[in-house]
Amino acid sequence: MSALKSLKRWFIDPQFARKKDFLRSLEIFKELRDRELGQLVQALHSRSYREGEVVFVEGDIGRALFVVETGAVELTRPGAAGKPVVLYHLKPGDFFGEMALLESLPRTATATATEKTHLHLLYKSKLDSLLNGEPRIGVTIMSHLARLLSARLRRLSSDPKLISEKND
Amino acid sequence: MTDRRPARREFPVLTVFVVGGTALYAFYRLHHALTPFLLAAAFAYVLNPIVSYFEARGLRRAHLVVCGYAAAAAVGVFAYAGLKPLIVSETELFQTRAPAYLSQLQRTAYAQQAQLTKRLPLPPKVAEHALESALGGALSVLQDLPSHVLALLPFLAHALLIPFIGFFFLLDAPEGVEGGIQLCPSRYVEQAIHLLSEIDTALGNYLRGLIIVVAVIFIVSFLGLMALGIDNALLIAAISGLSSVVPYFGLAMGILVGGAMAVYQFGTLWAAAKVAALFVGIRLVEEMLIQPIIARHSLHMHAMTNLFALIVGGATFGFLGLLFAVPAAGIIKALVSVTWSWYSSERGLVLGAAEGAGVPYT
Repeated sequence: MSALKSLKRWFIDPQFARKKDFLRSLEIFKELRDRELGQLVQALHSRSYREGEVVFVEGDIGRALFVVETGAVELTRPGAAGKPVVLYHLKPGDFFGEMALLESLPRTATATATEKTHLHLLYKSKLDSLLNGEPRIGVTIMSHLARLLSARLRRLSSDPKLISEKND
Repeated sequence: MTDRRPARREFPVLTVFVVGGTALYAFYRLHHALTPFLLAAAFAYVLNPIVSYFEARGLRRAHLVVCGYAAAAAVGVFAYAGLKPLIVSETELFQTRAPAYLSQLQRTAYAQQAQLTKRLPLPPKVAEHALESALGGALSVLQDLPSHVLALLPFLAHALLIPFIGFFFLLDAPEGVEGGIQLCPSRYVEQAIHLLSEIDTALGNYLRGLIIVVAVIFIVSFLGLMALGIDNALLIAAISGLSSVVPYFGLAMGILVGGAMAVYQFGTLWAAAKVAALFVGIRLVEEMLIQPIIARHSLHMHAMTNLFALIVGGATFGFLGLLFAVPAAGIIKALVSVTWSWYSSERGLVLGAAEGAGVPYT
């Protein structure tokens, strides 16, 4: 029995298991099964960014979802005086750029790594492949994105500032 | 909605042309040395889904590759032990009869020539001349066949080198891809992955489909040739199956070699016609039953594009060009598609809201 355990330990990839555990901890992927998470790990690409390195610029055509594993990312947009206004600080476990998975449109903000950061990228065509080959993975992600989109839309439509602007 | 896009990035056309041109020229100059690496890369690429299947279950890639090689070696040894008597008998048969094959073929060809001259609806002199040229051409092709086969020997010499190099490709390919992405300027990462993804989708299905085609042609033609009672069925089926990696070449080789063997054995053109019908039948079945399954996710290229790629590949890089012409054309197609997608998105040519976007949120 212990020999079998040793053999299993010898075969199991700890790095891969760590990545799977990380993905499992995220709200967007938490409903996925173990094997599905394994397939998702294979579909993801990883990249490290230096402090101050730009991930994408507002106006770039988005084609991937980014997941912050370590480090921090800042989303900014140019303000009235041309000075960047910080919209959001992203910490490990957060994801951004998710709308690129629905349609390839220009990014609405600039993303910059504010410290040494490691990101995972889920590319749109990889998600399309998952939707075709492993529909449960694709549907889980898509359904989460739809809920997210709905929540944002609800918040926007109930924003008193927007409603008063519309009435004017 | 206001368009908030800042200044567009200009596509680095000059850089792409200079880098691409230099890479192509270097490849042209070094293609002989690169042959085993290219073949090994294709070998690893075809086997990668098997490794990935188990890797998705959390197993170490290195251990999987080592165990996979050990298992393949064991299967190979057992398969060789099982097929050894057949391989040895076919080789001995071919060796002893090879010189007789050609002389018998010549005798049969010239014997048939007289009969055919009478049957052709042409003046006797013209018919005789036409048949002489046709038969002379066909026989010279057959006479040259050993030299063509010998030309393939350098590729057989890679038989051990390809799995050896392929081992390292299989082991380190994911790290290589991630390393490439890490080196890519951050703003171009999404484009780089887009390109990789397009090439992978098109090429992966094409190469894996090709393996299925080669295996099916080999097995079906072997069984068919056995049923027709043709000697050296295993050798002819292997030649036809392996030649199928070059589109249309497998069919031609099967008809030529199998037909020649049938003429030698039975001394009639009718026997050769049966072999030709067998290979044409296999080709039709492949077109109707196998290709629709493979082509569903394949390169989706016009037959004329394939033919053009084969002619250019063969003329420029010889046998290697013939082998990789269609996949290379697929890569060029993916490059064009990615460039167009990049350009059209950047210029706002494909923007458009989904239908029903104007309905208020309720």
